[in-house]
Amino acid sequence: MERKAIFTKLFGRFKSIQSTMMISFSALMVIAVLIFLLIALNFTSQTIYENSNNYTSQIVRQVNYDIDAYIEYMENISSVMAKSGDMSLYLLEEDQSESERKEQKKRILTQFNTIMESRGDIYNIAAVAENGRYIMNGGEEDLTPYIDIRNLDWYQAAMNSKTGIAVSSSHVQNAVLSSYKWVITLSRVLVNNRTGEKEGLFFVDLNYSAISDLCNNNSIGNKGYIFVLDEKGNIIYHPKQQLMYGGLRKEHIDEIMSCKEDSLTVKDGTELKLYTLSRSEKTGWTVVGAAYTSDLLKNNKQAQMLYTLAAVVLILAVLLISNLLSREITKPLRQLTESMSMVEKGQFDCANVDVTMENEIGSLGKSYNLMTERIHTLMKQNIYEQRQKRKSELKALQAQINPHFLYNTLDSIIWMSEAERNDEVVEMTAALAKLLRQSISNDHELVELGQEMEYVKNYLTIQKMRYQDKLESVIEIAPEVRYVKIVKLILQPIVENAIYHGIKYKDSKGTVRICAYPEGESVYIAVEDDGIGMDEETLTHIFDEKKKEHKQNGVGVPNVQKRLKLYYGEKYGITYESKIGVGTRAVIRIPRQGDQEHEKMD
Amino acid sequence: MRKWTKTQWVGVLLSCILMGVTLFSMLILVWPGEKEKEPYQLIFIPKTIDPLNGFWTSLIDGAKLGAEEMGAEIEVYGANSEEDIDEQIALIRSCIEKKPDALLIAPADYSRTTEALREVKESGIKLILLDSTIDQNIADAVVNTDNYQAGKELGEHTRRLLDEDSVIGIVAHVQGTSTATEREAGIRDGLGKYENQIAEVVFCNSSYKKAYALTKEMLLKYPDMNMLIGTNEYSSIGAARAVCDMGLTNQIQMVGFDNSIEEIQYLEAGVFQAIILQKPFNMGYLGVEQAINVITNREVEHNLDSGSKLITRANMYEEENQRLLYPFSGQ
Repeated sequence: MERKAIFTKLFGRFKSIQSTMMISFSALMVIAVLIFLLIALNFTSQTIYENSNNYTSQIVRQVNYDIDAYIEYMENISSVMAKSGDMSLYLLEEDQSESERKEQKKRILTQFNTIMESRGDIYNIAAVAENGRYIMNGGEEDLTPYIDIRNLDWYQAAMNSKTGIAVSSSHVQNAVLSSYKWVITLSRVLVNNRTGEKEGLFFVDLNYSAISDLCNNNSIGNKGYIFVLDEKGNIIYHPKQQLMYGGLRKEHIDEIMSCKEDSLTVKDGTELKLYTLSRSEKTGWTVVGAAYTSDLLKNNKQAQMLYTLAAVVLILAVLLISNLLSREITKPLRQLTESMSMVEKGQFDCANVDVTMENEIGSLGKSYNLMTERIHTLMKQNIYEQRQKRKSELKALQAQINPHFLYNTLDSIIWMSEAERNDEVVEMTAALAKLLRQSISNDHELVELGQEMEYVKNYLTIQKMRYQDKLESVIEIAPEVRYVKIVKLILQPIVENAIYHGIKYKDSKGTVRICAYPEGESVYIAVEDDGIGMDEETLTHIFDEKKKEHKQNGVGVPNVQKRLKLYYGEKYGITYESKIGVGTRAVIRIPRQGDQEHEKMD
Repeated sequence: MRKWTKTQWVGVLLSCILMGVTLFSMLILVWPGEKEKEPYQLIFIPKTIDPLNGFWTSLIDGAKLGAEEMGAEIEVYGANSEEDIDEQIALIRSCIEKKPDALLIAPADYSRTTEALREVKESGIKLILLDSTIDQNIADAVVNTDNYQAGKELGEHTRRLLDEDSVIGIVAHVQGTSTATEREAGIRDGLGKYENQIAEVVFCNSSYKKAYALTKEMLLKYPDMNMLIGTNEYSSIGAARAVCDMGLTNQIQMVGFDNSIEEIQYLEAGVFQAIILQKPFNMGYLGVEQAINVITNREVEHNLDSGSKLITRANMYEEENQRLLYPFSGQ
């Protein structure tokens, strides 16, 4: 029950099933698309993030490997040099002749030269003995006298190392006179071939080009970069080394050094920075790839836009299609509604609904068609019955011919024949015969206006004879209305009325004037008398059946009025105007083609 | 035409909105991710562009790197000599015509450049002073060494090397510059009770040669002189050269300002007992940063101290000091 209430609440608001369908379809589809979109967006951003993370860590590992390889290469060079006999002899042996030393020095310098020329990344190459002898580069440069080289970190490191090799962090090479270059020093102990003691040191000063090349050749996103830290967390290489040294730029070195994982994310100002680490076993250095997550996710933004766009297009299509679909589905329903509203207005002609579907709506349409047909038939039947009823009523009304008139006329005939006025008897009897024939002939409800006039003429003939010189009549009938059909026995009661209530009480001679003329779609038949006229009160009650004074007439004016209205409708009928002492004018209005409607009805 | 029902209206409205959204997102998609901003145009006029001067080259390097980092374009113009104030004023005037977003300048004189700089300011160009200041407070920001403090630190260190009989000579750089005035004041305060033993202050107009000559002259004039103080790179080195040439390195103790390779060598060799090291690279970098901040209406500290450090023979090999002594950018 409760669920039903919710549904009613939800869908009751909509004015049409179409909109209900459309909106619920659309809502469902939009929700579906949005959920899909959300999943897709989330998934892509994760994938892209992971991909770039993998990519970065690959690069960082590669750089680390390259640096190791590079250092190893340098170590090999140092190994070759340090173990050469010349070096040992020249620096460590005391008992050498001057010429021998010269030869040895020359050979060593040649070797140094070869190495220096082939490697652009070597600043200094030198060997120093504990005894103070040294040989360096081209042989022209000197060690600085202000510093004891043996106290320097990198010297100590190699001397104390088990392997005899040490790679320094980046530092200024102070040992060389008048030269203050930032270098990485690779040092290797010199072992006296004879004594097996560590008696000196061979070292190579590497400049940054090799390492910076290794780091710069690999880019991480647009803003990403690679830097290298030594085991203590000192910067060995950084693309913005000067800024780092000046304290103008910071990296989160403490976090990096304490990080055990391969990567860590650090908040850097407003942005998230992703550090990817790779530690070298060989040098103890850490290669760090730094990337901004916003940079990594830039592609993601595009993908997201694309997805969103696709979703929007989809939603648009869904809306359009659901609109079309719902319209199509509810079309028969709408037709049904339209048809129903027609039926409500009583128009059954186009009430039939096309049944195109086999579903519930189709069967609904079928039933509806059956039902309307049925109603239509019933209504037709009803109308037919009503008409029949009315017809018989009309007939009943017609049948009432004033019996007094008949008696009076017959009395007049008797009275005339006693007076042997034979001609008049013949005339009157003939007129009465015609009158009776016409009124009795019940074949047709309608007669031509001409015939009706004839009927009135006969009547007037009789009345004129009865009232002798008191009555005159004029009949004018426009030729074009002569054949217009009119309900029969309409005029006579009006004329009778004019005579009995108008002229009869007049002292002088009275005239009844009848004229028929067309006007527009109507035909007017005016019956005028110059009798005594009527006062207002009589005029207003002229159609009142219950007024006793008129009852004597039998077929009275109200009866005529009723018949006219019954037959032609409310628009038509008789209107009266009258003035005391002047006369009365009754105008009958009938449709010019009054018969047509009637025929159709039959 | 058929009258539209409410549903259809809603449908049309929805479609319109969706179409709008679609178009909008398409536009965003097609639009280049971020519209390339026109880089800010900066002009830097140091006191000199002397390529041999470690201080100014480092300062220019810092400014250039700063511009590169912050996506600005920087042009550097300068006189060949620090004392050529007219040249600098001419450069300032020509800078107005170039209409940069900001002018960074190390004014060569405390008062003579003021008028030209006022014009710069009035033409809507932001003004950033580096290293030195002027007699009016019209700059949008100042980045310099706290010269008084640096002078005082040097003075205090020097005081330990002196006794009652010491005779002190000061080789200053350009008379009237804020740096010279402030450093001298700092040194005097740092020397404390020995301040009266300053025999003479000479101004070398930032010329090695003049410093050399004036020092020689002064040493001849005061044979008892045993302490020389240089207030910038030119005066310190000029004086040191004179002392070396006269063979008086054992008799005369020296302290000075700034660091070039030559000066470091003198320090290493014991000619200098101590030097005050400014951070010109930082100064240049921070100057550009301040300029960008001023242009973009961000909050700036009006007077930014780029820092200084006293370096002695004893601590010159410490790693931290090595970083300051030997600019990495030179390599």
